[in-house]
Amino acid sequence: MPERALQMTGIVKTYGGVPVLQNVDLSVERGEIHALLGENGAGKTTLMNILGGVVSMDRGAIELFGEKASIHSPADAQALGIAFIHQELNVVNDLTVYENMFLGAELTRFGQLDVRRMCKLTQEVFDRMNVSIDPRQMMSQLETSYKQIVEIAKSLLREARIIIMDEPTTSLTQREIEKVFSIMRNLTREGGATILFISHKLGEVVEFCDAYTVLRNGEKVAEGRILQPDGSKISQTDIARMMVGRDVLGVKVYEEREIGEELLSVENLSVKGAVNDVSFTLRKGEVVGITGLLGDGKEQLVGCLFGDIPKQSGRVALSGRPVDIRHPAQGRRKGIGFLPSNRKENAIIKDFSVKHNITIVTLDELCRGTTISKKRERAAAEEARDRLSIKVQNIDNPITSLSGGNQQKAVLSKWLRARPKVMILSNPTQGVDVGAKNEIYAQIMELAKGGIGVIITSGEAQEISRICDRALVMYHGSLQGELSREELTEENIMILSTGGALT
Amino acid sequence: MHNAPTGRLRPSAKRFVGEYSIILITLLMIAISTALKGWTFLSLSNFINIVRSNAVVGTIAFGMSLVIISGNIDLSVGAQMVAVASVTLTVVEGVANPVLGAILGVLTAVGLSCTLSLITGIIVTKGRVPSFIVTLGMQYIYRSILVYSLNGGGTTTKNAAYMAISNHALFGWLPMMIVYFFAMAYLFYYISKHTKLGRHIYAVGSNEKATRLSGIKTDRIKILAFVLLGFTIGIAAVVESSRMGSINSTSSGISYELNAIAMAVIGGVAMEGGKGKLSSTMFGAFIFGLINNILTLIGMNTKLVNAVKGAIIIFAVLVQRKSKER
Repeated sequence: MPERALQMTGIVKTYGGVPVLQNVDLSVERGEIHALLGENGAGKTTLMNILGGVVSMDRGAIELFGEKASIHSPADAQALGIAFIHQELNVVNDLTVYENMFLGAELTRFGQLDVRRMCKLTQEVFDRMNVSIDPRQMMSQLETSYKQIVEIAKSLLREARIIIMDEPTTSLTQREIEKVFSIMRNLTREGGATILFISHKLGEVVEFCDAYTVLRNGEKVAEGRILQPDGSKISQTDIARMMVGRDVLGVKVYEEREIGEELLSVENLSVKGAVNDVSFTLRKGEVVGITGLLGDGKEQLVGCLFGDIPKQSGRVALSGRPVDIRHPAQGRRKGIGFLPSNRKENAIIKDFSVKHNITIVTLDELCRGTTISKKRERAAAEEARDRLSIKVQNIDNPITSLSGGNQQKAVLSKWLRARPKVMILSNPTQGVDVGAKNEIYAQIMELAKGGIGVIITSGEAQEISRICDRALVMYHGSLQGELSREELTEENIMILSTGGALT
Repeated sequence: MHNAPTGRLRPSAKRFVGEYSIILITLLMIAISTALKGWTFLSLSNFINIVRSNAVVGTIAFGMSLVIISGNIDLSVGAQMVAVASVTLTVVEGVANPVLGAILGVLTAVGLSCTLSLITGIIVTKGRVPSFIVTLGMQYIYRSILVYSLNGGGTTTKNAAYMAISNHALFGWLPMMIVYFFAMAYLFYYISKHTKLGRHIYAVGSNEKATRLSGIKTDRIKILAFVLLGFTIGIAAVVESSRMGSINSTSSGISYELNAIAMAVIGGVAMEGGKGKLSSTMFGAFIFGLINNILTLIGMNTKLVNAVKGAIIIFAVLVQRKSKER
């Protein structure tokens, strides 16, 4: 009987008095795609960091393929055949693809870099994965999803036995995700690899994984196989319940509300190289979703509306009056709020406290002349914190000490303070766990109920269908179709996203 | 990477040392000096001397701090100061009435310097050229034009009113140079901590993209940081040239930019931007002055003084990084 690929037993880890992992066991069989689930802060990343040699455990044992393993550094982990693909891309943009693939393990011939062989081996891996990437291309020229694929390829190249993937699909769209998963399947079947998969996207977990382990508050609360004895797959609702300890997915977030007059009108909007002749309207109190696959142009569309990206042609009007917004400062003045995707790069000021992040957009109101009134600022930030239930002990703490969901709430609150008329949210629950997702959806509903026109862009069809009144589906820069609430199904979204038409 | 985001901070003793490390280092250096020289070191006149000899560069360091915090740097401040001082002295000498001449001189200095910095700021932001490159180029330009037009020599003035600006002593014992230094320290502390502009400068330096997407005109903020630096350079030009009534195209202002950067960095301003306290820059200036003092006291060869300064700068930043780590 072949040994287990991985057996972690009794893992304990404490950070400065706070127990992060309490007696956690993890069993992974050979050739499995094993999902590691849990809310943010449950301990999944810490557990994987221990396996990957990034942090050390206080107590516990690790066995790899039946043999005791001692892992004290990433080098140790790599030597044992463990590859760790982190949530944030660990690629060097200023090097080429093959240079990234062989970083730290470069091939040489008579003392010189053997570029030909490195490129050849890289190409072989890409062929096995059925992707077409030029090994000599600069990493910076690749789309984010392809960069992620290169990272996965790197672990294949190193013939990793265990591949840890920490939320590898957050910046990928449906198509790309399917490709990644088929590659993962190949890796486990033919390559003999075992995959540990951390994700918040329960749909993916149920569709692609073989087994799961659920952590909650640093303890293992459940484990099992996706495929039940009766032949059916475990439901997302059940998994969510195990993660959070209460029912979350079934919760209805959509609420009926009064839709008012036209707020935003977009006519024939084009953005160079990205958006082609898009027209739509937004009304007060509406929640409109914009979705599509990679390259659809939705990010550029909303970026243009806010003033971040230049408009090539077309007309935009707010409450009937034509506007020409050329800078985010103007967008803000005209009453538009914008919560960008990838908050770490685009929305969070990492050196600031929670309080200062919340007040950055609306400092004007808190000033007496040129001076900031610290009293007013504190009151404003506390009010925002309470309004959105941001979990933080002290708003003077750095924003980086907050979990993903709370960070997202903080940046949302900075815009709510500005009382926008139109609120654009790009990927509002990116990197946010199931429990906090619902809270953000509830906030979005509150905004809409208050008469604000909300635009949401998201690659998650499930999300769009849960909270939107209407959805605009984009395909290669053009508006492929519009779906009313009745027509809003994941299937219809997929048909339009891939350039098809509804019958 | 924070694996267990709890919204909490680490134990207070460590935090205390981290926050106030700069003051502790200053006190340490004063202690060393006292040990070396004896109690005479702790005299008021000695401290006044130390501050006065670093007042000019210290003033510039405040402006430099803001520019670095905003994500840029300025390598031309020494040369700019000398250029501004030359023009100022020419104006001062050219006006018959001494008091009027002094006033016009000050206005010229500030006006010219701010304008030059405004131009620098515009080239950096609108031209999208890294500030390192722009200011490196400007340094060569200023210095070269100066040496050419003054033939390697200098400009002088005998305007007593103008010279009183730096040489006057308040109440008979407090040199005005000290007063200017502390006034600038307070002004820049205030701007950085209590004004909207100050907050925006930190934001731009920390994450320009996020700040822009928060509806803030980031180019304008960066330009204003340069103009504020220009203001300090203008004041520095007046104070420096009024002290001796002269300024020299080849020997004045040498390494002022590097020394100003050193003071800011010792004070905790991070080169990547977004971090640093103006109050700490002031202590950075003190420490810089104390280093010079201590090295002279122990009789170190003047030629080696810079080697030690360099080592201390590296050490000071190391200590700060370690104490900020979680």
